[in-house]
Amino acid sequence: MDTRYSRQELFSGIGKEGQKRLQEKHVLVLGAGALGSASAETLVRAGVGTLTIIDRDFVEWSNLHRQQLYTEADAEHNHPKAIAAKERLQSINKDTTVKAYVLDAKADNLKKLVQDADVVIDGSDNFDIRFIINDLSQKYRVPWIFGAFAGSFGMSYTFLPEKTPCLQCILSTIPSSSMSCETSGIIAPAVQMTSAHQTTEALKILTNQEESLRGTLLLFDVWNTQQQSIRTDKIKKTDCPSCGKERTYPYLVHEQDTKLEVLCGRNTVQIRPSEKKEYDFNTLASELKQHGNVRKNSYILICTLSDCRLAIFQDGRVLIHGTKEIDKAKHLYHRFIAKEKE
Amino acid sequence: MIKILFFARLQEEIGKDSLNIEKAGLTVDQLKQWLEKEHGLQSLDQTMAAVNEDYADGSEVLKEGDTVALIPPVSGG
Repeated sequence: MDTRYSRQELFSGIGKEGQKRLQEKHVLVLGAGALGSASAETLVRAGVGTLTIIDRDFVEWSNLHRQQLYTEADAEHNHPKAIAAKERLQSINKDTTVKAYVLDAKADNLKKLVQDADVVIDGSDNFDIRFIINDLSQKYRVPWIFGAFAGSFGMSYTFLPEKTPCLQCILSTIPSSSMSCETSGIIAPAVQMTSAHQTTEALKILTNQEESLRGTLLLFDVWNTQQQSIRTDKIKKTDCPSCGKERTYPYLVHEQDTKLEVLCGRNTVQIRPSEKKEYDFNTLASELKQHGNVRKNSYILICTLSDCRLAIFQDGRVLIHGTKEIDKAKHLYHRFIAKEKE
Repeated sequence: MIKILFFARLQEEIGKDSLNIEKAGLTVDQLKQWLEKEHGLQSLDQTMAAVNEDYADGSEVLKEGDTVALIPPVSGG
């Protein structure tokens, strides 16, 4: 007799019927950092049918205190988070179909992924992408569950298209970087609390119990034991450009194909070539060895220079760690990586 | 009396998690401006506010006995 989910089925909110529904559903976890790790693990253990997880980054030592899917070996070998996450998740539950993509999320590549999902879990770390998720959620009528934190403080909200206000109703503009950077550090319990609220709401959506959703913007501080559960009934805007009557989905229409982007609060610049490139890592490695230490796996090549580090992904993206200056990053990119073409 | 609750960076900036003040009659926006000026807080333009656990816009007038929560958006994930 299969007892795997027996304790979860005993819980009256799930039951055998709920368990069956979970096994038919598809979750998209956007980002495989701290929140994405925690939520993906919970939902895979709970037995969702399919879980897709995407991330653009690789594992580093500074992730390990809070990003629960990763090991020292992942940091040592700079495994892409999506790949390391998939491996761990699949070893936790072979019955869940786990799909993973090393992907820099944008409106165009998220479109299909969002459409295929029953719910989207926010594991991202910036509001630029959250406003894109918000528009996609409205357009394709897929609920998404926002979560974010800093320090010991976290917040979460469940966005239901056509029912609740959307992100644009709550925050009329993308918060500026000074307020949204991870400057105040983070403790793992704040991650787990945020993820616990997100995944609880996800379990309700996945078992078709929308009437049980919380319906409030929840804020909490795990260190100071504060909580606010804020009603949002009055703020849905009929003229909202993302969920109103004359909607235009501004974050899908105006998306710029940014080539250079400073990653918030991380002293890192990302360069995304306008055309997809594929590098021959062996050739590149032998060239870069003249300038610094080079390590690589099949997804990523990392070259440590005197004051910077270049992380080159197979899809052509390059992360330049150790600078916030776009000009310096550009210079390094052209000097070491894209020289023959430019 | 109005009770103001501070979250996230605001707690660190002001050095406490709440403040009681005699400011009934101000709007939420006016309260934010007052805090910026009197307590040297960085811009509260993008800070969300809730009055008695109801999401509030900047024009809401504060009444005696209200509890105002000021919530700066955080982005970590």
